Amino acid sequence: MILRAALLLVSIFVADIAPAATYRVDESGSFPQQSSTQMRWRQIAPSRGGDNAVEGSTRVNLRLNLAPWLNRNGRLFLVLPEQPVTPVKVSWTTQGRLLPGQLVSGQRALVYVGPIVSPLLEETLVLKMEADGTRLSSAQRLQFHFEIDID
Amino acid sequence: MPRSHSSHAALCAAPLLAFVLPVNAFTVSITPGTPTVYLQVGVGAFSGTLQGGGTPGVNPTVNVVSVTVPAAQVGTGTPQTMSTNSSAANSFWDNRVFCSPPAQLYVGGFYRRPGGGSGGGSALLTAAVPSVLSNGSGGTISFSQISWASSGLGDAGAQPFPSGTFVAGSTQTIGSIPRNEWAESCHTFSYANTAVVPAGTYTGTVVYTLAAP
Repeated sequence: MILRAALLLVSIFVADIAPAATYRVDESGSFPQQSSTQMRWRQIAPSRGGDNAVEGSTRVNLRLNLAPWLNRNGRLFLVLPEQPVTPVKVSWTTQGRLLPGQLVSGQRALVYVGPIVSPLLEETLVLKMEADGTRLSSAQRLQFHFEIDID
Repeated sequence: MPRSHSSHAALCAAPLLAFVLPVNAFTVSITPGTPTVYLQVGVGAFSGTLQGGGTPGVNPTVNVVSVTVPAAQVGTGTPQTMSTNSSAANSFWDNRVFCSPPAQLYVGGFYRRPGGGSGGGSALLTAAVPSVLSNGSGGTISFSQISWASSGLGDAGAQPFPSGTFVAGSTQTIGSIPRNEWAESCHTFSYANTAVVPAGTYTGTVVYTLAAP
């Protein structure tokens, strides 16, 4: 009987504490407001300086499930994996619940640091994307995701 | 004891399952820039300059290149330098003075196309040239009597639209613009004046076309 009680105690302890590590965040309720973003030449005509950048922006409604890390301290990152055709530079603004910032594909950027006080985080990002228009010859799907580092 | 062990396993599974979450990355699809061509022969239309963030417009003006041959000179074979009513001197690229009107006619444009590498690498500038210039009374002059010299103020290298002579009754290539580049030249036209023709005003229209693959 003593042994059973001890085992139960250990089990509950494990259930309550997620180990310090990096986790992928469930963002299944997030979606961009446009299904496709038309990129436009930053300079409609080619320039002497060779500015061939294309730009576009879209608004994304975020819904992040942070319940597994409730009442823990964490750092939340926006991640864009490397893109096969051309690097994509992304900057964004927020409504204040997350930090604005920028990254280049292949990187992650900090958008929140501190205690996780709510199981659900809702936010709206305005993403601005930039790429080399001479290399972007077909539609690309940028698959963003969020990671959280738990202390 | 076995039951106790079983209970332990079930409770341990709970925290493990908590991290096997349904994960959906949100996806943003981006599409390439729009292919664009711009051609200017003579005067054009641009809001400001390219370097100032300007954008091209449409100018329906058809400029005239002409020469008046003195009666004593008709058919002597002495080339007659032509002039234009175009006022286009500055490049819309950077607003620098590039051509010298009325002696020179500005010819330029750009070709925007997403993607790189080979295939569809250049836009082609052609001219649809009639066989003759006519005076309306049966008199004609072959378009092959007209040629042009190509240059540009401050340019040292080869011109994108080089010197040439009209090929009467043809669609001939004037030059090309590489992908994602701006190209421009100034043409000084000349009438060969090798034909003796009746007095009159002889006119004809050459149509320039910039075509991208």
